[in-house]
Amino acid sequence: MTINKGPSTPRSPRQVQMGLAASMLLLTAACGGGGGAQAGDDGDGPIKVGSILDETGPLNIYGTAMADATKLAIKDINESGGVLGRELELVSYDAQSDNAKYTQYANQAAQRDQVAVLMGGVTSASREAVRPVAERTETLYFYNEQYEGGVCDKNTFNTGVVPSQQLAALIPYAVENFGPKLYVVAADYNYGQISAEWVKRYAEEAGGEVVDTEFIPLESSEFGSVINGLQTSKPDAVISLLVGGNHIAFYRQFASAGLGESMEIASPTFGLGNEQGVLSNEAEGITVAFPYFQELESDANAEFLEMWHAEYGDDYPYVTDSAVAVWNGWHLWAEAANAADSLEREVVIDELESGVTYDGPGGTVTMDGPSHHLVQNIAIGEGNGENGFEVLSTEESVPPSFEQEVCDLVSEPDTNQQFTP
Amino acid sequence: MSNTGTRDRVKDWVRTAGRVPREALYLAVIATVVLAVTGALPEFRAYEWTLWAIFGLLAASFAFVWGHAGIFSFGQAAFFGIGAYAYGAAGINLSPATGETLTALLLGTLVAGIAAAMLGYFIFFGSVGDVYVAIITLAVTLVLLTVMSSTADPKYHVGDALLGGYNGMAGIPPLMLRAGTALDTRQMFAFSVILAAAVALLLNILRRRPFGRILAGLRENETRTQLLGYDVRRYKLGAFTAAGLVAGLAGSLYSAWGMFVNPSVFTLQQAALVAIWVLVGGRNSLLGAFVGVALVQGLSTALGGSGDTWTPIILGSVLILVVLLLPDGVVPSGLRAVSNVAPWVASHRLPRTVRSRLLQRESTELRDVLAARSGQFKPKRLEGQGLVKHFGGVKALNGVDLRVDAGSVRALIGPNGAGKSTCFNLLVGRYAPTEGHVRLDDDDVTRLRPDQRAAMGIGIKMQVPSYYGALSVFENLWLASFAALGKVEDSNRQALRVLRWLGMDDRASLDASALSHGEHQWLEIGMVVAGAPSVMLLDEPTAGMTREETHKTVDMIRDMSQFTTVVVVEHDMEFLRQLDAPVTMFHQGLVFAEGSIEELRKDERVLDTYLGRRPSIDAAG
Amino acid sequence: MQMDALINLAVSLLTTVSILVIISIGLAVVFGMMGVINLAHGEFLMLGAFFTLSGYRAGLNIWLAMIVAALGVGLVGLLVERLLIQFLYGRLAATMLATWGLSLILVQVVVLIYGPSTQGLRTPLGTMRVGDYSMSQYNLLLIAVAVALLGLVFVVFTRTKYGTKARAATQLPHMAAAVGVNAKMTNMLTFAFGATLAGAAGALLAPVAGVLPGMGQAYVGRAFMTVVVGGPGVLTGTASSAALLGTVDSVVSNAFTSFLGTAALLLVAIVLLRFLPTGISGRSGRQL
Repeated sequence: MTINKGPSTPRSPRQVQMGLAASMLLLTAACGGGGGAQAGDDGDGPIKVGSILDETGPLNIYGTAMADATKLAIKDINESGGVLGRELELVSYDAQSDNAKYTQYANQAAQRDQVAVLMGGVTSASREAVRPVAERTETLYFYNEQYEGGVCDKNTFNTGVVPSQQLAALIPYAVENFGPKLYVVAADYNYGQISAEWVKRYAEEAGGEVVDTEFIPLESSEFGSVINGLQTSKPDAVISLLVGGNHIAFYRQFASAGLGESMEIASPTFGLGNEQGVLSNEAEGITVAFPYFQELESDANAEFLEMWHAEYGDDYPYVTDSAVAVWNGWHLWAEAANAADSLEREVVIDELESGVTYDGPGGTVTMDGPSHHLVQNIAIGEGNGENGFEVLSTEESVPPSFEQEVCDLVSEPDTNQQFTP
Repeated sequence: MSNTGTRDRVKDWVRTAGRVPREALYLAVIATVVLAVTGALPEFRAYEWTLWAIFGLLAASFAFVWGHAGIFSFGQAAFFGIGAYAYGAAGINLSPATGETLTALLLGTLVAGIAAAMLGYFIFFGSVGDVYVAIITLAVTLVLLTVMSSTADPKYHVGDALLGGYNGMAGIPPLMLRAGTALDTRQMFAFSVILAAAVALLLNILRRRPFGRILAGLRENETRTQLLGYDVRRYKLGAFTAAGLVAGLAGSLYSAWGMFVNPSVFTLQQAALVAIWVLVGGRNSLLGAFVGVALVQGLSTALGGSGDTWTPIILGSVLILVVLLLPDGVVPSGLRAVSNVAPWVASHRLPRTVRSRLLQRESTELRDVLAARSGQFKPKRLEGQGLVKHFGGVKALNGVDLRVDAGSVRALIGPNGAGKSTCFNLLVGRYAPTEGHVRLDDDDVTRLRPDQRAAMGIGIKMQVPSYYGALSVFENLWLASFAALGKVEDSNRQALRVLRWLGMDDRASLDASALSHGEHQWLEIGMVVAGAPSVMLLDEPTAGMTREETHKTVDMIRDMSQFTTVVVVEHDMEFLRQLDAPVTMFHQGLVFAEGSIEELRKDERVLDTYLGRRPSIDAAG
Repeated sequence: MQMDALINLAVSLLTTVSILVIISIGLAVVFGMMGVINLAHGEFLMLGAFFTLSGYRAGLNIWLAMIVAALGVGLVGLLVERLLIQFLYGRLAATMLATWGLSLILVQVVVLIYGPSTQGLRTPLGTMRVGDYSMSQYNLLLIAVAVALLGLVFVVFTRTKYGTKARAATQLPHMAAAVGVNAKMTNMLTFAFGATLAGAAGALLAPVAGVLPGMGQAYVGRAFMTVVVGGPGVLTGTASSAALLGTVDSVVSNAFTSFLGTAALLLVAIVLLRFLPTGISGRSGRQL
C-alpha cells in the first residue's frame, strides 16, 4: 500500500474559506497570545513571579500537586502582607512534560514577564533546561524538588531533599533492620544512576553490600527480568529508585510474585507521585524517608493541611513532599526578600546565603548559605496499606553534608556545575 | 542514464544554472526585512521565533523528502537529534580552542548527513517500500531514544562532552561566529532565520533541477520512473541524504539555541510532530513547512502559557479539523482559494525556453527523435532463449524461444493466461526467469534490472496505464527524454519534438491526468519514443481506443518500425490485420504458432484455441 | 540449569510473547487488514484499562469489568470510525494526523474525568511456587488469554458471515461491493472489532501495569513493530512476529538489562524488515 495514494476530495470553496479563516485567526492568536509586552517591575503594583511545572503529560503525577502548592503559597504570602508590602502576581506555565517548553517558557518568564523570581522544574532534565536560561537572563531560580544532589550554582537554590540527607538515613536503617544484602532497581536516567552510586556508598558505610543494580527506562512497565533477578540473588531488601507512573507496575508485580514474604522494600521515591494511594494494600510495609509526611503531627502541619483542604477539598488524594518543597521555596524567598527589603537578585541572594529559616509544615527548614541547599528534618515512614504512611522516627535538622563538602558559593561564587559521588 | 561525459554534464548544469534564480531575490528580500525588524523585536519574541525558524527548517526537510520525493521518513527527528548531539559534542570539545562554533555547526550537519546516507543505503538498496520505510525509520528513532536515554553513566562521553542520558547534554556553547563572542538573542534570531530561509530556498532550487524533477516523477510513479531508465535507488538515497543534512543543520542550530539537548528529540511524539507540521502547512510546500510550525507551535505555546488543562484537547481538535477541512494543508488550500480568484497563480509553469519554442511550428522528423541518443538510430535484435517462469506452483512460461530481428515488427498474441504478459515482463526485466536468457543483440541482459535494460535501449509501454498524472504532459515527456539524453536542453528539444509528432502541442501544460483515454495511450507511446530506444515493447497499445485512434496508432507503429525494433502484444484483430506484421502466438506458456496473420487465421489449431472448440491441445510444435 | 529455573524462564518468556500478542492483535486487525494507521491505538488500550477500573469500582467482578470495558472501547471505536475514520480511508498520512489529534484529546479527557494521578488495580489470582521460584498466576492467565484471543480472531474471521465479508471487503472492496457486501458497514464493524481487542489488551494489563493517562505511549511503538514485522497475515503474522521479537526481548533482558532488551527487539525488527520487506507472513502470501 502506498502512503501517497488518495487524491484529495474536492472541498467546497466555503469549507476551504472557513478552514483558512480559522487558521488565520489561530495564527494571529498565537502570535499575540499571552498578552502584549509588559514593562518591568515598576516599583508600585503587584510583583510578577514565575512558575513552570508539568501540569499535563506523564509527569503531571508530580506536577499537579506542586502547582497546587504554588498557588496556595502565593495566596498565603499575599494574605500575610505580601512582599515589600506588595502583592505577588503569579505567572504560571504548563510545560506539558516537554523540555523544549521549559527553555521557552523560562525565557518568556524572564524576558517578557520580567519576573522577580522563577521557580519550577520537576525532573532533573527540566532543571538543567532552565538553569542556563535563568543564568543568562539573570533571573533568580529555585528548584523545589527532591533530586540526586550536587548542583552548585550561584543563581540556583534547591529546597528538595538530597541523597546526603535522605539516603544517608534510609540505607543504614535498611541494613540494620532488614539485612546487609541489597538489590538496587533504579530509573534509568541521571537521578537513578547517581542515586544508585549513593546507595552503594551508604550501604558500604553501614556494613552492607549492593549485590546487583538494574536500571529500567522510564517508559517501561516490564519488570520480569528484575523479578527473576531478585529470585536468583535473594537479597534482604530491594532499594527502589523507580520514578513515574509506569514504574508502579514493579510493586504490583513484586507483590503478585509473592516476594514480599522474603524481602523488604525501601525507597526514597515511593510516595512522591502518590504511589501508596494507587497501590493501597501492596504499599503496606514499604519503607520510605522524606522531610514531610501528611501524617506528621505538629501544629504547623495541622494548620497547613487545614488551609490546603479548605482550598482544594477534603478528598484531595495526598499532599506530597514535593508539594511542601515548593511551599517552602516560595516562603523562603518571600522571607528573604522582605528581610533584605529588596527584589534585586544579588541582594536577595546575599540574604538567602546568610541563612534564612522558615517553619514549614515539615518542621523548621534553614537555607545553608554556602551550598544553597536546605537543612531540614528527615522522617522515616512505612506504608500503612491505607493510602498513607506511618511515621516511625524523625531526625531533626539534617544537613546536606555532601553539598556542604563540595560546594561553597560564598567564597567561590563562580562555581557552576553538578557534583557527583 | 546515457553516456554523456561528466564534462558535458557539468557544462549543461552551468548553462542552465547561469541565470540568477528567483530564489536569490526572495532571499535578499527576506534578509532585508529580518535585519530591519530585528532591532525592534522584543527579546523573548526573537528567542521564540528563532525556535520556529529552526523547527521550520526541520519541517522543510520532511516536506522535501516526503512531499516532494514521496519517501515517508519518520527519521527526520532522528537526524535532527543526531545533529543536535553532534553540535553539542563538537562545540564543547572544540570551542575552547577555536573560539568559534561554526565548525561545530558544520560537523553537526555532516554527521547527520552521513548517518542518513548509511541508513538510506541500508533501506533503499534493499528495496524496502513505502510504509515499511516509515516503520524502519521510526524504529531507528526509537532505538536512538532507548540508547541515548541510558547514557546517564559518566562513562558515556565524547571527549569532554558527557552524553548525560535522560538528563541530556548540558553546557553546550551558543553560536559563536568568531573569537569568543557569542551571538546574542537577536543576532541568533537574524542568523537562524536567514540561514533557514537560504537552505529552504536552496531546496526549492533543487526541486527545479533535473534531480528534483526526477524525484517528482519517482514520487508520482516509481515503476514508470524505473522503466524509463532511472536507478531509483540512487535518487531515493540522494533525497534522503539531502533531507538528513538539512535536518542535521536544524538540529545543530537547536542545540546552539537552547544550549542543551536531551533524548526527548528522539521520541515518537517529536517524530510525529514533524509530520504534523508538514501536514498542516501543506505536504509539498516548503513555505507551508514554516507556516505549519508557526500555527501548531504557536497554538500550543499560547495555550500552555495560560496553564490550561484544555491545551491538548484544543490542539487535537484543531488537527482533526485541519485534516477534515483542509486536507492538503493550509498553504496549498490557500493557493487554491487564491487561484479561484486569480487562475494564473497555480497552473503548471513550463520553462521559458520551452514556452517560446512551442510558438514556433516546425515539423518533426521521427528519425531525429529516435536518433537522439547517439546521432543515429540503432535498432537492435531482441531474443528470448528457453524462457521458463514458474510462480510457485503456477507454470506461466514453459520454454519459449523468441527472436525479433533488428528493425522489424512482431506481434504477440494469445488467449489470456497464455503467457504473453509474463514473457513480456521477462523481456523487460520485471521478473527474473526461472530458466533461460534474454539477449539484446549479442549482450546477455538476463541479470539486468529494468532501469539498466532501459539504459541499454529497451523502451517499454506497460499494459496498465503508467504515466505521471499529476505532472504536466510536457514534464512526462521530458523525464522520458532526460533518462536517455542526460542534458536539460537536449531533453527539452526531444520532448517538444515528440509532442509535435503526437500532435499534442496544445496539451503541453495540462495535467497528464486531464487527457482522454486514447491520448493517455499516445502519451505513453510518446514517452517510449522520447527515450530513443533500440527496441520498443508495447503491451496492448490500443486497449480502449476508438477505431480512428487505432488506425492512427498503426500508422505510428509503422513509422517507428523504420528506425527501431517493435514488439507489440495485442488482442485487437483489426489492428493486427492493419499492422500486417509477423505474429507469434502463445498458448499455455509455449509458442504455439508463428507466421503472418493470414496464415494463422487459416490454421485450424489456432482457431480451436481461440474459439475453445476442442479440449486444450498441447502445443506440440 | 535446574528444572524450576527453566520453568521460571519459560513462563517469563511466554509472558513477554503473550503481552506482545495481546497489545498487537487489535492493531493487526485495524492496520493489517484495513490499512489504517491508528496512532490512537495506545489510547484505546488506555481506555480499556480505565473502563475496567471504573467497572471494578462500581462493584463488578473483575473479569466482568474487563469484558464490559473491552466492549465499551469497541463502542468508542465505532463512534470514532463513523465520525472520523470513514472520511479518511486510503489517505494514510491524513489518518495519522487525525488519529494523533484524537490521541491527544483522549488522554486529556481521561485526565479531566479521572484525574492526573496514577490509578491502581491489584493483581488478581495469587502466586504459585515452582521449586525455588514463585511466580504470579496472572502471568499464566495472560498466556492463556493470548492464545484465546488468537483463536477468537480466527473464528470470527473464518466462521462468521461478518468475517468473510470483512475479509472480502478489505481485500477487494469493489468486488465485494459488487456481490452485495455493504463495505461501509463492514469497515465500521472491523474497526470496532480492532478497538475492542485494544480495549481488551488494556483491561488485561491494568492489574500489572501502571494505569495512567499516558500509558498508551509505552505500548504503541512495540505494537506497531510487531504488526509490521508480522506482515499482512493477521494471525500468522502477529503470532510469529510476537514469538520472535518477544523471545529476543526476553532473552536479552534477562541476560543483560531490560533497556538492551528493547533495543535488541527494535534492531531485530529493522533487520527483519530489510530482508523481508513485506513482513514474515508476507513471504508466504498468507492472508490470515
